[in-house]
Amino acid sequence: MNPNLARCAVLCGSAMAALAQGLNPAALLKPPTDTWPTYNGDYSGRRYSPLQQINASNIRSLTLAWAFQANSQAIKSTPLEVNGILYFTVPEHVWAIDARTGRQVWHYHYKSEGDHIGHRGVAMWGNWLYFETPDAHLLSLDARDGHVRWNIMLADAKLGYFATMAPLVVGNHVIAGVSGDVTDIPGFLESVDPETGKQQWRWYTEPQPGEPGSETWPRHSDAITHGGGMTWMTGTYDPALHLVFWGTGNPNPVLAGDARPGDNLYTCSIVALNPDTGKLAWYFQPSPHDTHDWDAVETPVLFDADFGGKPRKLLAQASRNGFFFVLDRTNGEHLLAAPFIESNWTSGIDARGRPVALKEKEPHADGRLVYPGSDGATNWMAPSFDPALGLFYVVARRVYSIFYYTATGKPEGWAGRDHNLAEESTLRAIDYRTGKIRWNHELGPGESIAGILTTAGNLLFTGDSQGNLLVLDPATGKTVWHVNAGGPMFSSPMTYELDGRQYVVEGVQGVLYAWALPE
Amino acid sequence: MIRSLLCFCVAVAACAQQHIPAPRGQKEFAQSCGFCHGEDATGARAPDLVRSPLVNRDTDGDLIAPVIRGGRPDKGMPALPLPDQTIQDIVAFLHMRVKQAEGSARIGGDYPLERLLTGNADAGRAYFNGAGKCSSCHSPTGDLAGIAKKYAPLYLEERMLAPRRAVVTLTVTTPSGQHISGRMVHLDEFSVSLRDSDGWYHSWPRDRVKVSVQDPLQIHREMLTQYTDADIHNLFAYLETLR
Repeated sequence: MNPNLARCAVLCGSAMAALAQGLNPAALLKPPTDTWPTYNGDYSGRRYSPLQQINASNIRSLTLAWAFQANSQAIKSTPLEVNGILYFTVPEHVWAIDARTGRQVWHYHYKSEGDHIGHRGVAMWGNWLYFETPDAHLLSLDARDGHVRWNIMLADAKLGYFATMAPLVVGNHVIAGVSGDVTDIPGFLESVDPETGKQQWRWYTEPQPGEPGSETWPRHSDAITHGGGMTWMTGTYDPALHLVFWGTGNPNPVLAGDARPGDNLYTCSIVALNPDTGKLAWYFQPSPHDTHDWDAVETPVLFDADFGGKPRKLLAQASRNGFFFVLDRTNGEHLLAAPFIESNWTSGIDARGRPVALKEKEPHADGRLVYPGSDGATNWMAPSFDPALGLFYVVARRVYSIFYYTATGKPEGWAGRDHNLAEESTLRAIDYRTGKIRWNHELGPGESIAGILTTAGNLLFTGDSQGNLLVLDPATGKTVWHVNAGGPMFSSPMTYELDGRQYVVEGVQGVLYAWALPE
Repeated sequence: MIRSLLCFCVAVAACAQQHIPAPRGQKEFAQSCGFCHGEDATGARAPDLVRSPLVNRDTDGDLIAPVIRGGRPDKGMPALPLPDQTIQDIVAFLHMRVKQAEGSARIGGDYPLERLLTGNADAGRAYFNGAGKCSSCHSPTGDLAGIAKKYAPLYLEERMLAPRRAVVTLTVTTPSGQHISGRMVHLDEFSVSLRDSDGWYHSWPRDRVKVSVQDPLQIHREMLTQYTDADIHNLFAYLETLR
């Protein structure tokens, strides 16, 4: 364990003895069982649970334990579960509900300007929750009753910032990202003190002019200071290396490549940062010089496994541009890049493991047919990695789209758009050693944004694009259980065990469903 | 950007390039500010004002007007003693330019034909009758007669690639060998349903029946991996001649 974490575990552990209901930080370092203490369940981002009470032999008897009606916009968050309470969100709203019964404990509402496209959830440290708002504030709430303990502004909503992500707690750092869409503003990641909200460090996606990486932006231009690269999603963390791994979003102006010649670091990148200082250790860029809105914010999933005959510390990402990447997470060395869906925008992979974009597939005034479209071959929905099978699972989409570049003067904002022509979704199991698709399970027409959970019960939980919740055999992709839940799942499933009973919780529109075996 | 489903676009005034009267304040801005900030306010010798935090934080001139009146002598910007009305017009122009940038993802029926017309209509006709096999289902004097008058150019290009309305017909064969056909209502991994010619709804579990799908648009979906961009632009140029 890292010394900082150890210190925090001791300090917070003693506070815990008095209050009993807060989060023991040691839970963050274990695979999730009775606790789901962070957005991805644990630091690895694998969304693989060791629970196996619900398993392949009894799945057909899976039944509804409870449902909670939030009467809200679609739930896109993954609940935390700590000491029998679930904490989940939609934009502006946090709920605490009883994880055994689905009854409300409290509800908090923060009325806010700013973009309300979705919300991924909260983080927890001791007795405190951390919640980002549509106007790009970060709030600390008392987990007992939802009362606000402090409220800081991460970024100015008037400039087009907003926030949707669930922060990541590492030691005594609350690491929070920001979102943006149409305005040309720089992305950043900020670490604050969990007690006070005081800033500890801020890492900007774009380097300052003159710093390493700034040579990937045009000189004598304001492009680098308006270059986008939002930190939309929750990162992952390796306590042994003491590095956090984060995906960054697309450069701005979104479709206007000619306004920003160069690779545009560190947009559309996976970066490794020291959580104490925010200093960059290494980076890898899945989409150099992106012109199609292909954020690389999809979860950087961490696992240790053999690669090329050697045990390695790996990081894998199924990226929005349609490529699956495997890196050595100690140094960012690329090990594998392989397509996980059909695409038509690249001429191959370069020596550094990066797809090479075709100039003629950049957006143009007359329209260019590109697949995947800007919505992506996948997107923010959670992938999963099953260490027992060595398979990486991703909800993939075939999105065919026509990209128009519309600016006539200096491009600003999107500077155009793509319009979808056709969409289909499919779940793919990828062999991390080769990038080959082991199996494929079609999910229907449209763009599914359901995430994935795998468990030691040899089960894979997800949803299709037609309102069915699915449980699949993770080895073969065959359906072993399903139900029409009345609407598509826009969230990622999670699981926990309480009083000897395993629950799987899935958000469908404004309802949380908890599934379990019959009592 | 993470927009997964819909783009919530800001409705904006059409821009100056589209031959409509100049927006309020444009002339005043160009005369007094354009030399340094660019006539469209995107910057020249002086900063881009569309991206300016001060402009983005301004409400009705509360931040912009003092800068115009007082200048920024430390940065070489002179004070401009303009009439209040002129300043308010300039403020309005700058806010409109910000809205235009925010709305730059909005592309609709007013998208200019000339930007789409990069193809060759003769080559498009040849593709229509030849490699594209369009003529096996469509006719320029039949279903496509006057098609270019029916749709705005952008929508014509998109509908050419992905027609949105079609009746999908299903034929379901039951375990007893009965065939039932009708309009598809729903089809997924687990269930199938249709409406028969009398208007009655029927549904079955997928594993009990055989289903055959007749989707007249399936060929359009398959063509999306076949077209080159040149095919698309040529074909569009040809369809634009069908007036």
